[in-house]
Amino acid sequence: MALLANLLGPRKAFDGGSFLPAHKSATAARPIETLPVDGPLYVPLTARRDLRTVPVVSGGDHVLRGQRLSRSIGEDSIPAHAPVSGRVVALDRAWTPYDGYLPCAVLEPDGREDAVPQRFGWEDESFIVQLADKGVVCPSPRAPLHVLVKEAVAAGVTELIVNAMETEPYLTTDHRILIEEPGRVIDATCELADALGVSRAILALPFRHRRVVKRMRAEAAGRHVEVFPLPDVYPQCHPVLLVKSLLDREVAPGGNVLDEGVIVLPLAAVRGAAEALLDDRAVTHAVLTVAGDAVVRPGIFRVAVGTPMRDVAQYVGLTAPVTGVVCGGPLTGVALGNEHAVVTAEVPALLMFATTHHAAPTSCSHCGWCVEDCPVGVDPTALMNLESERHCHVMERQQLDACIACGLCSHVCPARLPLAETIRRVRMRHVLKKDTAGAAES
Amino acid sequence: MTKQLWTVSEESLTRVAPHRLSGRTNRDVIRAWFFAACLVGASGVVWFGPAALKVLLLSIVSAVAVEIIIGLATRRPAGDGLSKAALIGLLFGLTLPATVPGDVVAFGAIISILVGRMVFGGLLHPALIGRVIVQFFFVSHLSLSGTLAVSPVLARGHLLFGDITRSGSVATFLGWGDTIAPSGRSAHLLERPVQSLRRFAQDGVASDGDLNYTPLLRDVLPPWSDTLWGAVPGGIGETSTLVLIVVGLYLISRGYLRWQLPVVMLASAAVAASILPVELHDDYRWFPVLKTEQNHAVGLAYVLYHLTAGQLMLGAFLLAGDVTASPMRIQGQLVFAVGIGVLTIFMRLYGVLSGECYWSILIMNALVGTIDRWMRRPVLGLADS
Repeated sequence: MALLANLLGPRKAFDGGSFLPAHKSATAARPIETLPVDGPLYVPLTARRDLRTVPVVSGGDHVLRGQRLSRSIGEDSIPAHAPVSGRVVALDRAWTPYDGYLPCAVLEPDGREDAVPQRFGWEDESFIVQLADKGVVCPSPRAPLHVLVKEAVAAGVTELIVNAMETEPYLTTDHRILIEEPGRVIDATCELADALGVSRAILALPFRHRRVVKRMRAEAAGRHVEVFPLPDVYPQCHPVLLVKSLLDREVAPGGNVLDEGVIVLPLAAVRGAAEALLDDRAVTHAVLTVAGDAVVRPGIFRVAVGTPMRDVAQYVGLTAPVTGVVCGGPLTGVALGNEHAVVTAEVPALLMFATTHHAAPTSCSHCGWCVEDCPVGVDPTALMNLESERHCHVMERQQLDACIACGLCSHVCPARLPLAETIRRVRMRHVLKKDTAGAAES
Repeated sequence: MTKQLWTVSEESLTRVAPHRLSGRTNRDVIRAWFFAACLVGASGVVWFGPAALKVLLLSIVSAVAVEIIIGLATRRPAGDGLSKAALIGLLFGLTLPATVPGDVVAFGAIISILVGRMVFGGLLHPALIGRVIVQFFFVSHLSLSGTLAVSPVLARGHLLFGDITRSGSVATFLGWGDTIAPSGRSAHLLERPVQSLRRFAQDGVASDGDLNYTPLLRDVLPPWSDTLWGAVPGGIGETSTLVLIVVGLYLISRGYLRWQLPVVMLASAAVAASILPVELHDDYRWFPVLKTEQNHAVGLAYVLYHLTAGQLMLGAFLLAGDVTASPMRIQGQLVFAVGIGVLTIFMRLYGVLSGECYWSILIMNALVGTIDRWMRRPVLGLADS
């Protein structure tokens, strides 16, 4: 029986989900490369639109690698750091995929690798301050890591889950990080677990990569980190389903995993924490999977924050005119928004496609594939009808809240109906209505 | 070079997730089903000759023609409608015997599209709607005792096995290969095996001393292997059991049919046939499967005939699993399949209507909405409330 479980893998712990074609072979075997910097960088001075910072450099200043470019205002915001040494040409604005235009410093690299001296002794400062100072951000939920840690401590979490599932097609960043920096991942997880005061720290990773699982188990031996292989059925990578699979707890519709006393951190955040805590280095690079059918040389690249996406595309080469550029996974990522967009620290992947998958929708044939594959038990076709209605009932409201926006319903729909897109729009409308209604009452 | 390729269009810059879709469309699903139905139709043509081909083609052509006319009249682009209409026409043709005259075929195909597809929206299987309406109007044409000559390809000198010209009268019928019949048409005038089963269940087959089941199996029914190959009278697509199983496996392998549906449907039919009583000498005998006569497991053979001798195979592999007319979830499909299997056997044993499998599929189709509501999935996180 144990042999069988070893061969076939663990059982799927939630209903629904689907094994998607992986498209990972092109990048999974390639080591992480550092993208050479050969043009001006447009380094955003803040991590999110609502986190305010003040620039501490001005045009003409010379900065070293890792030097601070902005100073944070308030407890939640984080400063920006120079990814390379060079000269600040001007302060301008740059398009970021998640926030639109943000203020940025235009940095002309000078080719010298002069770095600010490292201190190797952050013990005099608190853990939170160290994370904030080094600008560690978490891609999902998109927030500075120290804010998430503070919230989690306030909520009294008892479990930390490090999410290395990466079940979306094309993405291999987490896989390579686990291969290349297994010890640092475990070290940083232990540090975070200590700071959070959790009783269990779990590293969730795909069962399929057996050697990686074995290696991580070896690294974690004797540490307080449990290595938990899971089947890589999409969307196992979603926090709600990780909590369901690993801890068998169900998060209420619209709820947060913090309500269940769990904090789920993506591996990218742990990697950032490792740089800040173990090396005392500011997070100035993002690790991106660059792939897609339009890419000549797909791979995983360590890209300086502020590099224009166009430079990344130029470096890897394109075979055909791109018709779709996605930041993040193909099922949940966001479209680029602007062709002058720059890389930010929380971008997990850059996918460029020459083919388009979008076609005119036909009529629903009641095949039930969306219902069968929905990981949270929602009937997407029923929710689509809400588009034309003004009110929705309690049950429909719960279904709207329960949707985790994994995009699987649209992905499998043989009629090409925009199910996930419509549900997102309807939910936005109802959330907005609730907010305005709440504001009117108070 | 790359610079030019990077110019991204406005539309693709603002698109929302998901950005990649699975390649499967409704058109692929319909094509796979059409291909499967074509294989069954081909086997029907092999058994029943050019007349069967004529019926199938006429059925497809009339269905597609009606769809085109309706599309022109309502000024709507046809889209996948034409291939869907062709599939409905083909499936309708498969339920008919090869002796049916052309006007009946055309009428039924048109009704399938007009009533089944347009009025009921495909929620009741359109091909079966056409089939049962035709059954109302032209019952004599469907009972194979038609007057049209069929000239089967299985006639002498045409094909290797199952020489239909040598089939004989009912009393001495030993299968297609072993008895002599005066003409090819006589084979089509034979009683369908499923009719013999019905007659038996209503005490219509005379017993031979103590032997009740043996006369049925020995004298009335063709050899069981003939019902597997399809060399028995019946609808064009109903008889070739082996081909139906193969195309069912094809659809299952493509992922367009869940294996549980045909398996559970046949299993529940087998269980129903094993348990439900038959009338023998004014007495209802339960559990016919347990019957043995002269150390032969005649009860088991009786149940096997029930599975292969009627429309059950066509229903299980090609008709019940229709994507529109079957429940959405697997749990619902199980209930649906059990319903069809049991109802089919029940109607076969005690009912008066022929085409019992088609009727039970339609009845269960009507219950799909209820089944779907009943089998609704619990939303994650709401299980305890």
